[in-house]
Amino acid sequence: MSHLPRSTRRHFLSLMGATATSSIFLKGCLGNPPSDSPTAPVNTVVSADQPKPETTKIKLGYIPIVESAPIIIAQEKRFFAKHGMTEVEVSKQASWGAARDNVVIGSQGGGIDGGMWQMPMPYYITEGRITTNNQKVPMYVLLQLITHGNGIAIAGKHKGKGLTTKFAGGAKALFSNLKSAGTKFKAAYTFPGANQELWIRYWLAANGIDPDSDVELLTVPAAQTVANMKTGTMDAFSTGDPWPYRIVKDGIGFMATLTAEIWKNHPEEYLAIRQDWVDSHPIATKAVIKAIMEAQQWCDDFNNRPELAKILSGKNYFNVPENVLMEPFMGKYDMGDGRVIEDKSIAAYYWKDERGSVSYPYRSHDLWFLVECVRWGILPKSEMANFNALIAKVNREDLWRESAKELGIPDSDIPTSTSRGVEKFFDGKEFNPENPQAYLDSLAIKRV
Amino acid sequence: MTTTTRSNGNSNGLARFWRKNGQYILPPIVGILSFLILWQILSSTGVIKLSGPWDILSDKNSQTLIFYPFYDRGGLDKGLFWQTFASFQRVMIGYTCAAIVGISMGILVGTTPIINRALDPLFQFLRTVPPLAWVPISLAALQQNEPAALFVIFITSVWPILINTTVGVQQIPQDYQNVARVLQLSRHKYFFKILFPSALPYIFTGLRIAIGLAWLAIIAAEIVMSGIVGIGFFIWDAYNNGYVNEVIISLVYIGAVGLLLDKSMAWIQHRLVGDS
Repeated sequence: MSHLPRSTRRHFLSLMGATATSSIFLKGCLGNPPSDSPTAPVNTVVSADQPKPETTKIKLGYIPIVESAPIIIAQEKRFFAKHGMTEVEVSKQASWGAARDNVVIGSQGGGIDGGMWQMPMPYYITEGRITTNNQKVPMYVLLQLITHGNGIAIAGKHKGKGLTTKFAGGAKALFSNLKSAGTKFKAAYTFPGANQELWIRYWLAANGIDPDSDVELLTVPAAQTVANMKTGTMDAFSTGDPWPYRIVKDGIGFMATLTAEIWKNHPEEYLAIRQDWVDSHPIATKAVIKAIMEAQQWCDDFNNRPELAKILSGKNYFNVPENVLMEPFMGKYDMGDGRVIEDKSIAAYYWKDERGSVSYPYRSHDLWFLVECVRWGILPKSEMANFNALIAKVNREDLWRESAKELGIPDSDIPTSTSRGVEKFFDGKEFNPENPQAYLDSLAIKRV
Repeated sequence: MTTTTRSNGNSNGLARFWRKNGQYILPPIVGILSFLILWQILSSTGVIKLSGPWDILSDKNSQTLIFYPFYDRGGLDKGLFWQTFASFQRVMIGYTCAAIVGISMGILVGTTPIINRALDPLFQFLRTVPPLAWVPISLAALQQNEPAALFVIFITSVWPILINTTVGVQQIPQDYQNVARVLQLSRHKYFFKILFPSALPYIFTGLRIAIGLAWLAIIAAEIVMSGIVGIGFFIWDAYNNGYVNEVIISLVYIGAVGLLLDKSMAWIQHRLVGDS
């Protein structure tokens, strides 16, 4: 070394130093951030006796709310692969509108083949009611994804005014006061004419508030609604987990009611896929259904729920802190107005609830959603006569049954009828699927 | 133009470099720093309800995004470099199409007054349509996800190129036209010796405005595609979750890329047109 000129040696040393630092820097930056171990997938053995699906590919869309859990778990826990669907793509959708547009395009156009839907979106899309140019894209409803998991959040400024499941005190006056002051009570949801609009409408009407004349109902993206609740320009938000927890914890508002209180064990969101895809891939369709059924059973095991919360909260899926999902999953709801509900029976269920199967897509439930749309003038009364024929076309509970049998589901878990029978709501009203007209007649506030 | 960066290695050279370029380096640094400090003061005093730069830096979630731009956990869970890079490719495709169509249409419209009169109202009308409004239109027209997204970028960025080119062509000095007529230049020669060189500064102005607009369209374009890697969808997702910090960090990336693109465009312009 001594033959090297001094300056070169210094240069060499500083160069070495620089290289060492930059390599440490690069190692840190180029790699992945340190994180705890990933969750392990369950068995991936493909059963040999099953017929081979026509394709191993399908693209399913989802919105990052708890309703999508069975689809995500079927992917993460490799239930899709187990049933031969090795190339399933689970694609986060920007909004319900984007999901609708993508299913109209189909996966060959870069869109999706199906996914999770609010009711009665698959019917709307089948009939071309919400698509561009009223293009009809027939769909099949194949499975119910979830029950519960939704509720109605109210801005903090209305705390203590009696806004609960059943109004107390001067809650009714609040609406008329706001109306006469020219600032009608404003409520939002993320897609019009489906579940979340129907829940808030039912709740308001059952409490004697006309959702059309006493309230202003709007379609607004979730984050915007929450921001507006914070600034006081939005009064309510009909939404699903994980939003209720976040709204309460951030001190933005409180939960007036949960859908589990409005209608216990109610139908919520569904798996539906394009008809042309199902018709040309009957075995693959059943493979998808079976995989999601297994995922639903996995989700319902409360021992799995911490892991479920962990998977869903990941950046690839919901991108929320884990604890946001955990409490609701265990049936604990801090309502934000002093009420804390701890009742496992009101938690989200994916496979079975107190009334039996959650997963099975009862035709009687599809009928309720359609009739409720008639109630609010979203669908014309004249179509009521065709509802049963339409449901028979769109609702493929037969595929659910076949899949359940092939999966070896015990007969006791397979409903014997396509109707779950009479449904009871918190206000004492009843929906008898045999006589939907009687249900409509029994309601005080309606548009028919 | 001569770049004398011979490595002198002594402090004298550094001082000379600073004396020469300090006036270009210092003001932007001071400007950015005072902006950040003002922002921090406004947010910590609660005047604006937004986390200040320091709060963003100390947030764990943002740190991951800032310090690990190259991370890749598969799926959508990728670092901001990859997100920006994916969007950059989309922007470049849409923008290149816009440049080709914009310049050629601009020349056509600029040289033929009758076409100009016929199409100008249409152009002025269409260029005000916001990117988001193009989303359902392009989807319905193309029935394909990705082309629709690229079309949104294209249609947002084509107008300044087209309109500036048109004006550039129309503004060719009368003297040049006279010379061309006197010399009886062929159409080919007129195009390359007169029209193109004199319209070039305008074309470049259009191109530089358009690059900003192309990035403006990226969120709209990536909402169409949904569930893809890209800074636009990343911002949309962060917005939907109410993560303002993540939105701000992504904006830094978009801004930096935009700045680089603009500077490189200016450099190309400088090489082609010279100081004018």
